[in-house]
Amino acid sequence: MKNIIKYIPLFLLLTTVSCKKDKKDPEPEPEPTPAATTNTIKILFEHTVDTNELVLNQNYVNPNLDTFKVSTLKYYISNIVITKNDNTTFVEPESYHLIDVSNLSSTTISIPNLPFASYKSLSFTLGVDSTRNCSGAQTGDLAQNKGMFWNWSTGYIMFKLEGTSPQSGASNKSLTYHIGGFGGVNKVQRNFIFNFASTPANVSASVSPVIHMSVDVNEFFKNPTTINVATQHTQMSTGATAKMFADNYADMISFEHVHN
Amino acid sequence: MNRIANIFFLLGVLIFASCKVDPKIIEPLPADNLVEVIPDGWPQPKYTFSVNTISEDKFVLGRALFYEEMLSVDNTISCGSCHQDFAAFSHSEHKVSHGIYDRQGTRNAPGIFNLTWHPLFMHDGGINHIEVQPLGPITNTLEMGADINPVIAKLQASSKYQNLFKKAYGSDTVNSQKLLRAMTVFMGLMYSYNSKFDYYKRNENNVELSDAELRGYSLFTAKCSGCHTEPLFSDFAFRSNGLTVDPFYQDSGRAHITGLPTDRYKFKTPSLRNIAKTAPYMHDGRYTTLNECLDHYTNAIPNLTNLDPSIPTNGFQFSAQNKQDIIAFLNTLTDYKFLGDKRFANPNF
Repeated sequence: MKNIIKYIPLFLLLTTVSCKKDKKDPEPEPEPTPAATTNTIKILFEHTVDTNELVLNQNYVNPNLDTFKVSTLKYYISNIVITKNDNTTFVEPESYHLIDVSNLSSTTISIPNLPFASYKSLSFTLGVDSTRNCSGAQTGDLAQNKGMFWNWSTGYIMFKLEGTSPQSGASNKSLTYHIGGFGGVNKVQRNFIFNFASTPANVSASVSPVIHMSVDVNEFFKNPTTINVATQHTQMSTGATAKMFADNYADMISFEHVHN
Repeated sequence: MNRIANIFFLLGVLIFASCKVDPKIIEPLPADNLVEVIPDGWPQPKYTFSVNTISEDKFVLGRALFYEEMLSVDNTISCGSCHQDFAAFSHSEHKVSHGIYDRQGTRNAPGIFNLTWHPLFMHDGGINHIEVQPLGPITNTLEMGADINPVIAKLQASSKYQNLFKKAYGSDTVNSQKLLRAMTVFMGLMYSYNSKFDYYKRNENNVELSDAELRGYSLFTAKCSGCHTEPLFSDFAFRSNGLTVDPFYQDSGRAHITGLPTDRYKFKTPSLRNIAKTAPYMHDGRYTTLNECLDHYTNAIPNLTNLDPSIPTNGFQFSAQNKQDIIAFLNTLTDYKFLGDKRFANPNF
């Protein structure tokens, strides 16, 4: 009897080992660290029309007083940099994110591995840098099958807004804004920087801060150019008109607050 | 002779293939010497296979995709439909591309070879990278008319492609990058540098040019090589060579991409390698013979918008003898080794 009891721990050990072996993960797990020194920051994009929440396929009024519905809103956020209070920076590697309003999970960007610290500012680009526009077949959010790549004049559609308006001059009353152009005077990438030193994001073992951003669709339709959908209903190529739309969306994203 | 040998080879392959259990998966032809090539004296290519490394399995996958009709919306047209190996991968006897539902494209399907030296693709240079080039014809509504995602879904559902992707990438998951990069390995390895002219230049195989060929070469060097620059026989710049604008196509060429009035009616200078095999000629296939092309350059060219300054407004005034000699020279640019290279032939035949 005593002998059997002696073997129980060994038996348990063997069982444990075999369980571990069976647990075959397809993805290699990160090495466990003795004590965590990093945590995640999330950037949450909340879409509005003026101060109302954006709901796809619902009527809104733009600054030109045209009625419109949005069926698609997709855009790239890239090259995210988060700055600590001591002015050192965290640069997200492979920082390319496609925000798609029809896909709720895509509207939150999770950035892991931020060292514990207080962070006072955030910068990113709306669009994709020129290098990645000329680097051939990509994966992830930059893959060429996301409906955000022009095949006939290659380059990314940085910002895509589609919908309808009874005032649209298009025969089917559509609104089609595909904004792209990665180089030269008519490039459409726009940089954003937000400072929140007074309410910093405090990354710690227990806190994974969420930075709330607000994206106002009506800013696309105004400032500096008020868009009149009777004539400005379709944009599907690069050039000066695409740049005009980009200048409009250059102030479309604003900082809301940090939730620590 | 080469052709007969090819037929025997293909017959052999067919007999061999018919013995296989699964007739859909045909053994690849020998894919030997799948390496990057930079012939002596050639410039560095724009694309190297440093990231998209070459492997025989990727090549075999790329080759299957190149000849795969599932890449078109109705499963009728493959890349190989308009890019035929015996025509240096141009479309024999077709002025413009022949797409789905018998649709006609607007431009001539160019030959495919030495692509890794091209800075930009298509006649208008609208595509900026070899890896994304296939997306142009796949999605063009006059050519293959497909969207990339349904194509991926069709390939993913095919056991043949699950196998080929697994061999090439270690996983049978199909995605756009894997698809495009395998096609790049296949097309990027289509090197043409073994024409009679190349052997002559390299002092190989005791190849000499005839008097007519040498006279043609000399004329070519004086009059044509400014744009059709050796060794690729193109500098790949965009030019108007004096063709009148076709009233049906109204093709603005490079300006379609850049929007610049100064680019109107400019097209990419084509390589003249294998030119004897890539008729019909010019971006819209308007000329059937090389003689017609030389007539175009011989005669007075109307003072067109953006006419390239290297073309005299009264033409090059080539004599009948000149034209014969230049054509004799151009014929030395045919690379029979490339044309008969079984590695690039349709694996389904």
